Amino acid sequence: MYGLVALGYHITWATSRTMNFSQGHAVMVGAVVAWAVVVALGWPLAVGLLVTLLALAAFGIVVERVAVRPFFRTASPAWLLSTIACGIIAENVAQLLFGKDARAFPSALTQRPILVGGAGFYPQELMVPVVGLTLMVLVQVFYHRTPYGRQLKAVAWNAEAAGLMGIHIERAVMAAYALSAVLAGVAGVLLAPLLNVAPTMGTIIGLKAFAVAIIGGLGSAPGIVVAGLGYGVLEAFVAGYVSTGAREIVGFALVIAVLVARPWGLLGQPPARRV
Amino acid sequence: MTPRVGWALAAAAALALPALTANTYYLYLACSIGLLTIVTAGLNVLAGFTGQISLGHAGFYALGAYAAGLAATRLAAPRWAAAIAAVLVAAVLGAAVASAALRVSGPYLAMVTIAFGIIVEHVLVEWVSVTGGPGGIFNIPKLSVGGSYWLIAAVAAVALWLTANLRGSAWGRAMLAVKSSEVAAESLGLSAYFIRITAFTISAALAGLAGALFTFLNGYISPDSFTLQTSIVFLLALLFGGLGSLAGPLVGATALTVLPELLTGLADYRLILYGSLLLISIYWLPAGVVGAIAGRGRARTAPADIAADSVAAVEPAAAGAGAPPASEPGALLGIERIGVSFGGVVALTEVTLSVPSRHIVAVIGPNGAGKTTLLNLITGYYRPDSGEIRLGGEAITGLPPYAIARRGVARTFQTAQPFDDLTVVDNVMVGVAGPRLGGLAGALLGLPGRRRRERELRRRAQAWLAMLGLAARAEEPAASLPAGLRRSLEIARALATQPRLLLLDEPAAGLAPIEIETLDRRLTALREQAGPAIVLVEHHMELVMAISDRIAVLDYGRVIASGSPAAVRENPAVIEAYLGVPA
Repeated sequence: MYGLVALGYHITWATSRTMNFSQGHAVMVGAVVAWAVVVALGWPLAVGLLVTLLALAAFGIVVERVAVRPFFRTASPAWLLSTIACGIIAENVAQLLFGKDARAFPSALTQRPILVGGAGFYPQELMVPVVGLTLMVLVQVFYHRTPYGRQLKAVAWNAEAAGLMGIHIERAVMAAYALSAVLAGVAGVLLAPLLNVAPTMGTIIGLKAFAVAIIGGLGSAPGIVVAGLGYGVLEAFVAGYVSTGAREIVGFALVIAVLVARPWGLLGQPPARRV
Repeated sequence: MTPRVGWALAAAAALALPALTANTYYLYLACSIGLLTIVTAGLNVLAGFTGQISLGHAGFYALGAYAAGLAATRLAAPRWAAAIAAVLVAAVLGAAVASAALRVSGPYLAMVTIAFGIIVEHVLVEWVSVTGGPGGIFNIPKLSVGGSYWLIAAVAAVALWLTANLRGSAWGRAMLAVKSSEVAAESLGLSAYFIRITAFTISAALAGLAGALFTFLNGYISPDSFTLQTSIVFLLALLFGGLGSLAGPLVGATALTVLPELLTGLADYRLILYGSLLLISIYWLPAGVVGAIAGRGRARTAPADIAADSVAAVEPAAAGAGAPPASEPGALLGIERIGVSFGGVVALTEVTLSVPSRHIVAVIGPNGAGKTTLLNLITGYYRPDSGEIRLGGEAITGLPPYAIARRGVARTFQTAQPFDDLTVVDNVMVGVAGPRLGGLAGALLGLPGRRRRERELRRRAQAWLAMLGLAARAEEPAASLPAGLRRSLEIARALATQPRLLLLDEPAAGLAPIEIETLDRRLTALREQAGPAIVLVEHHMELVMAISDRIAVLDYGRVIASGSPAAVRENPAVIEAYLGVPA
């Protein structure tokens, strides 16, 4: 699950050397929109899902237009702050429309737990890694096997040369943002029945996913997938054996440790220094 | 409004406020402004001077607050001791976090600082036996609001004064230099890592101090006051007020404290307000409110004609800036069979070259022959895969750039990299001072000894500027110089370090013929004055032939010829490399 959101950071980073720091808020928007359409309006799940994903693509595009394009490839980290700004505005808007309280998102898959050797879990919990891994594979296939995916990779490698080859850079970056927001939205929809829906749910998910992206290596999709799984397992262990509060402490301490030892991530490549 | 009037008005307002109102609500609000000013003044040193962003300063604020709170309750320490404890705890942890965090920059640094902030927040919640958990610590002996007001106002004024002193010192210039161009700063002997750690520590200490004052003001602290959102507000106040400007923290703190209070009816929209302010600051106020006001003032008062620049006044002033170090016997620089390759592409192989003291050795060759790579190896930006580089008999292979610079190697860059955030004379002063920044305490306090040294640095910098024909533009921002003068400035800055060895990377590229002639005269004059040995990478053959004692020709990463200009000119291998025909 973290892997899924973290992959979104990877996609925009790989294409544009910028990241959407409101990625966690995209998860929240996904959950909130899905709740509004499916629970409040009572539309069928399939239609609701479609609407949600479209809304997320739109969210990604808006963030890109407002917060990223003006600062694209400038040395300043302005995009970092402006995407944070987009995120907190989104949180506030969601609060106004949705209310401050968490709401349950009923799902057929969380009605009856499956019992395996004493430990119970919901089918929904199985859905998360299954859908997550499937999507990750699809993203990889898209990047490596389709012409459009290759275009995005070309932009990542050298935007100027890609531009000369007739690739529309701005459109590629926009597509990357839309795609990464959609991935976050899927994560939001999957998580909604498990965590309940609340406007404040985004920040911590976004941060943890960012931690995962850094541990795995921002430039390495497989690294992120592995790190996402590892981080989830670690959290479960610490929360189970120590305490839920220690979970965050251990997790973020790990990020600092990784950054100090291998700033480019566990499976990433060290960048060459340019003078 | 000139800065002086602005400061006077702010001070008058601060002094008059308690007389105007006894309403504790207003005084409390003023205290909040003061606290935010102290934190942002510190953050300004980090973000405004060295260009690194932290989203974890609420963590240091919390450390200061809790350290002071615990000292005052558990140890019954007096307030001043509690405050000192707070500053120490924040500074020590700040230095520790910085030495880990500053190995990375940009979004990675943001992540480390966010992670630090979250760890602190959760430790505060979890470590119930010490911190009181989610409930926090209460019953801390508190100051009256009036007393707090005077204390906080005084500390805020001191914090602003300290940062102003710092800005005008060698330390401040070094920080801005690191922000403008880390690569160029290291070429002058400055360790960017060390300077950023210093800035981070100062900012953490001020955040800790503000935290202690926060504790005394409220008498009660809990983890709720120290969240990620708090860190964002700190940064926002600085950005809105003016990143890097001295008054920015005060203006930003005032705006960010007063605005939400004015809009209490819209409390539900607070995040939208913050988000919009952040976007507005980034879009339209890159220099903050202070920058916008100051910019307008400057535009109005700018002199109609900028003094005609004195390219004509080029005769090198007698190098009164101090005698260059004595020459050593034997070759100053010895390069023994170095090789380096990048991802399988061999850039240099078996390159051997020696540069005697006071000689000018030119390195020429077609594009891509590896000339700039050679300079980057000598100055430590790249590490050779094989071979050895010796300077005055000492092996310098593999040392970091700033360490090599400290041993007397200066350089210019193919694309000139002056420090754009500094004035022309400040650029050269960074070179004159080099790594000798003096005591940090003296810089912060603006001690008289420090001021004398400043005048001395400035005098010497002016001499170098005069020599390079830049005296008339000394007080202009370096960013405003045209390309040719940027190169001259870079040479002045490199010479100001009084190097034993000067490496020039295409100093004539893009210069007009008359400027090249001037360059020729300056380099010749340097040699006559027993200046540094020079390695010159250059395409302009006339210049190379005129001034070089020796020429080495690189092609495909190898030295294909070396010797006197006349010998090289006749060498068949050289002619082939340049013209592509076997001679």
